[in-house]
Amino acid sequence: MKTTRQIIFLFLAVAGLFVACEKDSNNEIDQDPPQIHIDFAGAFPVQCSEIERGQKFTFKARLSDNVALGNVSVDIHHNFDHHSHSTEIDECDLAPKKSPIKPLVFIKSYTIAQGLKEYETNVEIDVPADIDPGDYHFMIIVTDQEGWSDTKGLSIKIK
Amino acid sequence: MKIVGLFFLLGLWSIAVQSQTFRISGTVKGDDGEEVSRARVELFPTELKSFSDKKGEFSFQHVSKGKYVLSVHMVGYAPYRSEVNLTDEDVSLTVYLTPGIHMLKEVVVHDKTSLKKDEYPLNTDIVSSQFVHRYLGGSLMQTLGRLPGVSMIGIGSGQSKPLIRGMGFNRVVTVEKGIKHEGQQWGADHGLEIDQFATGDIEVIRGGASFMYGSDAIGGVIDIKPKAYPDDHTSGGTVDLIGKTNNMLGGVSVHLYQRKTNWFYEGRATYQDYSDYRVPTDTVYVYSYAVHLDQRHLRNTAGRELNFHLNSGYVDDRFSSMFYFSNTFNKSGFFANAHGLEPRRVDIDLHDASSRDIPMPSQKVNHLKLINRSGYVWNDHEIELDLGFQHNFRQEYSHYVSHGYMPPLYPENLDIPQDLEREFDKKVYSANLRDKMTYGSHVVTIGASGEYQHNDINGWTFLVPAFRQAAVGVFVYDKFSLNEQVSLHGAIRYDHSTIRTMSYTDWFPSLIEIDGEEQWQNLTRAEASEKEFNSFVWSFGMDYRLGHFSLQANAGKSFRVPIAKELAANGVNYHYFSYELGNPTLSPEQSYQGDLVLRWQDSRWAIQLSPYYNYFPNYIYLNPTPGFDHYYGAGNQIFVYTQSKVLRYGAEVQARYNIMKSLSTEISGEYLYARQLSGQKKGYTLPFSPPASIMMNLTWSPLEWSKGQGTYFGLDYKRVAAQNRIVPPEKKTAGYGIWHVQAGTQFALAGQQVLLNLQVQNVLDTKYMDHTSFYRLIELPEAGRNIILSLRMPFQSAKNENSERSKS
Repeated sequence: MKTTRQIIFLFLAVAGLFVACEKDSNNEIDQDPPQIHIDFAGAFPVQCSEIERGQKFTFKARLSDNVALGNVSVDIHHNFDHHSHSTEIDECDLAPKKSPIKPLVFIKSYTIAQGLKEYETNVEIDVPADIDPGDYHFMIIVTDQEGWSDTKGLSIKIK
Repeated sequence: MKIVGLFFLLGLWSIAVQSQTFRISGTVKGDDGEEVSRARVELFPTELKSFSDKKGEFSFQHVSKGKYVLSVHMVGYAPYRSEVNLTDEDVSLTVYLTPGIHMLKEVVVHDKTSLKKDEYPLNTDIVSSQFVHRYLGGSLMQTLGRLPGVSMIGIGSGQSKPLIRGMGFNRVVTVEKGIKHEGQQWGADHGLEIDQFATGDIEVIRGGASFMYGSDAIGGVIDIKPKAYPDDHTSGGTVDLIGKTNNMLGGVSVHLYQRKTNWFYEGRATYQDYSDYRVPTDTVYVYSYAVHLDQRHLRNTAGRELNFHLNSGYVDDRFSSMFYFSNTFNKSGFFANAHGLEPRRVDIDLHDASSRDIPMPSQKVNHLKLINRSGYVWNDHEIELDLGFQHNFRQEYSHYVSHGYMPPLYPENLDIPQDLEREFDKKVYSANLRDKMTYGSHVVTIGASGEYQHNDINGWTFLVPAFRQAAVGVFVYDKFSLNEQVSLHGAIRYDHSTIRTMSYTDWFPSLIEIDGEEQWQNLTRAEASEKEFNSFVWSFGMDYRLGHFSLQANAGKSFRVPIAKELAANGVNYHYFSYELGNPTLSPEQSYQGDLVLRWQDSRWAIQLSPYYNYFPNYIYLNPTPGFDHYYGAGNQIFVYTQSKVLRYGAEVQARYNIMKSLSTEISGEYLYARQLSGQKKGYTLPFSPPASIMMNLTWSPLEWSKGQGTYFGLDYKRVAAQNRIVPPEKKTAGYGIWHVQAGTQFALAGQQVLLNLQVQNVLDTKYMDHTSFYRLIELPEAGRNIILSLRMPFQSAKNENSERSKS
């Protein structure tokens, strides 16, 4: 059966092509995103943390990357409509839904010195006294120099 | 080198004898001996084409000596094909057509006869509407995704965009009825507004073809031909019914036609309604936010579609003019948990109340098209004029969510509807003129095309400014038949285009810092600008056919003018949570590509290998940067349009073997490698690079079981390799294997012919992710098991003598 052998040969040839292709090396480029760690003592805020109005708090998280970190961004917005959920496994108790009047809007990004693989944030954030208290969402996004990113979404309460 | 020398000698010989020409004439008759008029008669491999006159006669003048194939097509009859050997005298012959219902005679598997009508030696597949019927997917592009080298960027179950050899969006041109389809091509979150029940043959070109189709035809072309117009003095139609289990789709398409002697009328209406599609998992993870799915339904991916077509035209021996009107409407939902600035918790009571409803976020797209195509045959000239008007109107609806510095509550006095997140209103006017002239062994086509686009925007968010765009192009294309085996092809084209973007200022103030002082200001997101682009492209090719073997080679340059989004985007992509920033300094993208198609075919075997090599000096891509923007980007990561050098190569392999008369097997595979050679992502691949894949099929068509033809059982196994070569923000995608089965037959029910097709897609309900899916980034798996049943009932009225040939 010459033809049968031909079919088998063809299969093998095509399969060989794909095997050959999969060996393609990616060693020289960075394919790993950075990471956000809040699982150490002193990390703040963490899931369900409470923050007082009219006071300052320090945002502390450890950031890491296999090559070089980029920047870190913090976004605090209200969750009065319960639209947000978090990346954490445990959900927090939410107050009843309500309409915003003067919610806190905080969007800032922070540069990390070039070439660092590890960085611990130490950012003071001022919470004005006249904003709406209630459920808020605290989003952290970190990038690395290649443009990979990691996100954490935390539920917090402002009292 | 010897072979080249031989070609050269053959060429000289063919030029020497070229002056001696003869005439091929004949009469077309039905099996009853009656003359058949208006049959399409073609002489391959020349470009000569004619229609039989009222006495059934046709003739071709000035034909050089040689072997030809005469092909005769007439609706209601089986296609006729015969060799003609022109030696030293004129040839006259009589063609007897055998009756057959046109629809049944269509080639099922994609037809790639060595005598295809396609003129240029590009890598082309021709897919019949019966192929579409057999492998019907959720959308036309999902159906075509079965071809090697063709995949799609899908969103949900009903919509997708073509991806040819990893090139998609504005790098693939879709042409319908001669006019370039202009949707909101840049976005991945909406499909092509094409009714897959209304398509005729579809030509799929892999690789650049700008010289023929202008800007954007840099990665490939999907050319959707209209269905053949009906036979004279007939009337009839088709009813298509379709049902799918995965997304509980129900659909119907009804087609009616009538033709007198010269005039014909045709109409079609299609309606499809589908629920949220189901995936083989209870929980999906959107950027590590766990989302529980109700009964494995991907929340809010339901949709519906309503399409109308109305065609009318005049046909005679020399002149034809057709009007095509169509309106397609689609409403569909977006996956509700991933829309906005972050993954969202949704109102489960609202969204899970029904899997068929479409609450927000959702989109509505309406595409209206009016096309006129006219043709006139005059001596050695074939003149064609296409005129088109299109109106694409797309709206995205979402509850107002304050982004960045937008006010927490929607202002009452704003004149934008509160739920209208985005609106794009595009009107396109286009015209193409071509003249195909035959001079001895040269066929020269000259042509010009023009297009004007008017784009407006609305909605409470901003991504792309309003813009106006105009383009004109001229081209010349020459096919030179050196001899029976070899033809040479060359083409050049020049294009000039302008794009004018309008300015846009936010309707809300943002808190910005000027000279160290904080101020509230309405930000200008887009400045008015005007840009001009000129492009010159070329292509050279060769076609060589000898017995069972054929070779097509082609090398050329293609181009693509940057689109408004790439030049002037300045807003948040609400599906990917990124801030996209245009770059006004972009230059027209250029591509150099070499293509080879090697094919060997006999009655049992067909093998085709098609490698390609492609280089872009300035590929445009959306580059994720380490930066964030808290004014325009609402705190999101900045993605900016950038250009870099890119190298790509790959190949498709196809092989078919008829084990027995009733049993055949087919294997097709594709592989693609892409690498950025410069810029910030040097060393990385390009986004949306399809992984290597192989598709194996076994089809059994027991002849003795079916009274007519067309009973078949097919089994597909598709194996897709893992995609580990990625570029931010992509994720590595694991490999997978999926099984599909198909079966079909046709039978008579109360004198009515019925074609029945059954498909089971993803038989084992395998959970897998498609690397090129729109929802891949947010880690949504593809649809689970899907059983598709479709029924087609063609009918023809018996009104006159024509009835005899259509009955059998």
